[in-house]
Amino acid sequence: MASKSAKSFTLKSVFNLKTLIGGAVILLLVWLIAVFNFGLEQQSIFLPGVTSEGHFGFEASCASCHDGFKKVSNETCNRCHEAELAQDIHGEKKFRDIRWAEKLENLDALTCTACHNEHVQMYGRGVHLQPDLCMACHQGIIEGDMKSHDGFTEEGCWTAGCHNYHDHRSISTGFLYDNLDQPPMLPVQQLPDIVVEATVESAPTPNLKQEFLGGDA
Amino acid sequence: MKGQQGIGRPSWRSVVSVFLCLGLAIASLSLGNITPALADGVTEAELSEMTELWKGSAHALSEINCSSCHQDSETEAFVQKPNYESCQSCHEFETDTFLLGKHGIRLNEGQSPLTPAKARLAMKPEAHSKQMNCNACHNVHSVNTYEASVDSCLTCHNDQHSLNYETSKHAELFVAEGVLPRPSSASVTCATCHLPRETHQETSGGDVLVNHNNTYTLKPRDRMVSEVCMNCHGMEYAYNSIFDNELVESNFAQPPKLHLKSFDMVRVLRDKREGK
Repeated sequence: MASKSAKSFTLKSVFNLKTLIGGAVILLLVWLIAVFNFGLEQQSIFLPGVTSEGHFGFEASCASCHDGFKKVSNETCNRCHEAELAQDIHGEKKFRDIRWAEKLENLDALTCTACHNEHVQMYGRGVHLQPDLCMACHQGIIEGDMKSHDGFTEEGCWTAGCHNYHDHRSISTGFLYDNLDQPPMLPVQQLPDIVVEATVESAPTPNLKQEFLGGDA
Repeated sequence: MKGQQGIGRPSWRSVVSVFLCLGLAIASLSLGNITPALADGVTEAELSEMTELWKGSAHALSEINCSSCHQDSETEAFVQKPNYESCQSCHEFETDTFLLGKHGIRLNEGQSPLTPAKARLAMKPEAHSKQMNCNACHNVHSVNTYEASVDSCLTCHNDQHSLNYETSKHAELFVAEGVLPRPSSASVTCATCHLPRETHQETSGGDVLVNHNNTYTLKPRDRMVSEVCMNCHGMEYAYNSIFDNELVESNFAQPPKLHLKSFDMVRVLRDKREGK
């Protein structure tokens, strides 16, 4: 039945193959432009690779990181990562010091994208990192400058979980030194408590009419 | 009657099709009109249930009434479903941190709320379409955070670490405290580690606020150790546990077997400095 009515519906008389293909191409183009310009959910079709663990979930929102076709800037990263970078040991403060300023020639350490790239192969931690990143400045550590680190691998610094590039407050030698040999359970085991102070002794009786029709509650 | 109709008469079929389509369109339109009305309409019974929940809440005792959330402060219009912005007007730190974590980042970026269906981690199939907003985890009328600290998480999360929580030592501590308006300082819940309580000395005069960025303590892992584990555990025990993936998956079912060499290196350094 369906095939017969389809037959009687002579599409050929209205459309030929050329106009059909042309129409489809135009529709596809309009859709692509709309997706690109209006930030629709389907923007994920423009993703060039697998999104990192941290950025996964909102990767269809290109404008979150990209301002048109410009390079991703530190400002874009800081929109979300500012709090985490507040104690950046490799931050601006470090490289304003003339002892370290020239190290920026080895690696542009003040530009997020010098080390971090999205959409490329991951090393299980944040956005893409070169495993031997630290060697741009700290090669000496594993080549005799520090006896305890002789012969360590180039990527071991952070892949082994011992060092953090940005915030090393809780993994620094000083921190470990101060907290060695603690018992499994500390003598005082207590998490912060939350105290809510009441301003009235008992709950008032809600009067919806007064609240919503007569102004103030 | 059908037999009498000629097969080659498309007009008959067209008429039937048009009526069928119209019928379907009208039916779906009216269904569309009815369904939201049922979902949005609140019965007297539901209203009194919400009121009872609110009466026992911390909000009621702090003079946060119906209109505090359900009325637009400028237009005074009734707001049936307040969103995160309504919570944000009082709970600024909580909302701001929520928006930066995995649960809230989509809202922060102007997208639709996250649903468990979009997750890479294992989620419960029946929760796949749940939308991550403040009220996805919080009962907004009782504002009781006891449920939000474990039950809400397990409504969606279905990975081994999450499922093993209930048989863990941490859960024993939580259960031992009984049902409270909010977890006590001796309870270890999902939220204890993943939405940690922080003391804000500088900005809030020592107030304890909950960091709702659920990804904050996940990586780097030492952040969890210093900010959470070391409230109760020694450093070496905590590090040796958290860097053992199997132990993490079991939700810390036994003491750590891992022995990180870093500590021995620091011990050597200490002995050297102290001239031992």
